[in-house]
Amino acid sequence: MTLIDELRLLLGVDRVLDAAVELYLYSRDASLMRGEATCVVFPESTDEVSAVIRIAEAHGVPIVARGAGTGLTAGASPTEGGIVLVTTAMNQIEIDLDNRTAWVGSGVINLDLTRAAEPYGLHFAPDPSSQSACTIGGNVANNSGGAHCLAEGATTSHVLGLEVVVAGGEVLLLGGQAPDRPGLDLKGLIVGSEGTLGVVTKALVRLLPLEADVRTLLLDFDHLRGATKTVSDVIASGLVPAALEIMDQKMTIAVENWLHAGLPTEAAAVLLAEVVGDPEAVEAEASLIDRIGRENGAGTVQIARDQAHRDTLWKGRKSAFGAVAQVAPDYYLHDTVVPRSRLVETMEEIQAIADRYQLDVYNVFHAGDGNLHPLMAFDASQPGMMERVHQAGEEMVAACLRRGGALSGEHGIGLEKRDMMRAGFTELDLDAQARLKEVFDPAATFNPAKVLPQGSRCFDFGGTRREIPDGAWI
Amino acid sequence: MTGGVEGGSDHLAPADIDALAAILRRATGSSSVVQVVGGGTRQGYGSPAPPDILLEMAAMADIETWDPDDLTVTVGAGMPVAELEATLATRSQTAVLPEVPGASTVGGVIAAGVSSLRRGRLLGTRERVLETTLVTGDGRIVRGGGRVVKNVTGYDLPRLVVGAFGSLGVIASVCLKLWSTPPASATVEIDDLEAATKVTRPLAVLEENETKRVFLWGTREEVVATSARLGGVISEGHQWPPDPDGPFRWSLRVPPALTSAAIVLLPPDWRYLAIHRVGEVRVASEDAAEAAGIRAWAEENGGSLVVVNAPPGGLDGLDPWGAPPPGLEIQSRLIAQFDPGRVINPGRLPGGI
Repeated sequence: MTLIDELRLLLGVDRVLDAAVELYLYSRDASLMRGEATCVVFPESTDEVSAVIRIAEAHGVPIVARGAGTGLTAGASPTEGGIVLVTTAMNQIEIDLDNRTAWVGSGVINLDLTRAAEPYGLHFAPDPSSQSACTIGGNVANNSGGAHCLAEGATTSHVLGLEVVVAGGEVLLLGGQAPDRPGLDLKGLIVGSEGTLGVVTKALVRLLPLEADVRTLLLDFDHLRGATKTVSDVIASGLVPAALEIMDQKMTIAVENWLHAGLPTEAAAVLLAEVVGDPEAVEAEASLIDRIGRENGAGTVQIARDQAHRDTLWKGRKSAFGAVAQVAPDYYLHDTVVPRSRLVETMEEIQAIADRYQLDVYNVFHAGDGNLHPLMAFDASQPGMMERVHQAGEEMVAACLRRGGALSGEHGIGLEKRDMMRAGFTELDLDAQARLKEVFDPAATFNPAKVLPQGSRCFDFGGTRREIPDGAWI
Repeated sequence: MTGGVEGGSDHLAPADIDALAAILRRATGSSSVVQVVGGGTRQGYGSPAPPDILLEMAAMADIETWDPDDLTVTVGAGMPVAELEATLATRSQTAVLPEVPGASTVGGVIAAGVSSLRRGRLLGTRERVLETTLVTGDGRIVRGGGRVVKNVTGYDLPRLVVGAFGSLGVIASVCLKLWSTPPASATVEIDDLEAATKVTRPLAVLEENETKRVFLWGTREEVVATSARLGGVISEGHQWPPDPDGPFRWSLRVPPALTSAAIVLLPPDWRYLAIHRVGEVRVASEDAAEAAGIRAWAEENGGSLVVVNAPPGGLDGLDPWGAPPPGLEIQSRLIAQFDPGRVINPGRLPGGI
């Protein structure tokens, strides 16, 4: 039987797509790197995922798991062909109120989980900007962060257990409600592994109580240094605010032109801070941030007193990337991290790189943890533009690495940064990572050719892998 | 490097990572069993094979980098936890490692996967470790993670190293994520656990045989208001309790909602320190007579009862870890990639690995 026939026998005709237009729709994630799948399948259960994996293995084709496809690094693009396994039909939520946890199907949308938990006074803390579309499975694959992970940690801090299907279709139930399950923490290894070790079908996640009270502040500064110094001083004071986000002037202007949220467009930098907790806590913490901000030259300090005002301030932050669409038809953003003490000098160098390549760069970033998102806006139809953007981006990433930073803070490696991994790790480091991959996936079935550069294994385990397809842009 | 022979084992104390790598390469070459020793406080786990070499990490104990602004510190594995925390406290920071560490070292706490009593609020040791530099059994130097507080670059090797008892390699140094210590703290003794629910997210809710206490920290305004709301006996600061001590020491791990049920199940003469909202109960006893029953109940409910320490021969056939965890075959193959001769702490892990 052919691959498609076997899959249709398992799942029925409707849940195996192979028409050209359907394959095209699933040929890439939110990055610009496109692949070409043989078919797209929609399993509804763990057993079906297990059976799909066995069929793929028998035919020697790869599997790329995909949630909503909001990833930015081609992690879910089928660049090596094979089966795109869409998780969205696995969307059950079982909340355990006693333990404040939930077993969640990997296809559940992040915001839907929080909405399901809210009636019980709970929520799921990781909140990537794409939270209204992205799935829990995608969050687990990328160890996604978001503006609120400064205080609460990224996805891995909230995953207590996983149901994952590995090579041979074997189903593993890892971790659980009780802490510190004996043995190696395979669950912790699978979170953030970008679908390269197996397919996650369910996650057991922690739910946190809804905060009793919240204060959101917007401070404006006439120099970036004042904003970053405020962030450092706030953290040094012992406060860990729920969020500390900075937008530079260019980004603020773009957002304000689009949203009319009353943002201070004449400021060099705008700091959005949020504190949560019991009412006494937020009152005191908000006034402390206000004072520290003014000591560091803040001009005006807005404190949102109601939910509507708070929503407006956050909308400005979370729609920043959308706002750039009015400036230029295309954008490309990088996701890197630097030690927080090196933020200002890094930002200055990023600006200098952009100037050198005559590119517009916009900045909005998670200042509390030094996670930068320099965004270049451009018109890709201009001759030579893509090369310039690509070159400038690489230099920006290199500038961060030189300062002791990391390649990616929350978007992952995927294909985009795969070949930059050598800049951050030695051959032996990468060899060790390749060994982890090989133990789980000796036949290179799961999302092959992602995360690790070719030849990472010092004694390469062979396998025929094609290079990146024509027209892909990395 | 210093050396010596005692009780049939060589004592070796490498001064740096290259010396450490040389020792491990030789050990693999000669199939010598290496027992890694930090402060020597956690040597009771598992069923370790008798060592040929006692590898003492005390000489690799430097603070390599600490920029308080970055909230990270990079430190040699042999650094005593108490010394590190005392240093960090001079700038009002903490690595949120165990509060009453005795002679424990940073590397030892990470290898054993032991966590802070504050883990209900600030989470466990797995959340602290940003970067690890390991020396594998065959002497390779392997770094994973990075020295920044947020990072998704490649596989999360540091997380896998926590609780791995050296099976992936001897930890040479680590970068830890720090927290700033807020200006105020208080402890409130309560009669009824129900009272603790009046604070949304306390730093810790701990119960011992005689007391129940809520630990708070934050701004002065917050701590004053929340401790008053709890309505018990308030004292300033934190007096953290040590782990219960006795001939047998156990770690009972259950779903958080079963913490109180677990306490009820313990024989009356067992001493305990329970971390509510986490499901971890640290226990000490004079004998192991009732351990099998408690373990059966814990495992039925998705938990475990782990032997932390027991007198020689005292377990009477009781497995130190209990039921083997899932994925044991994958765990063995992972370890074989990092310690192919299986020379580092063999027998420590569940399943006799």
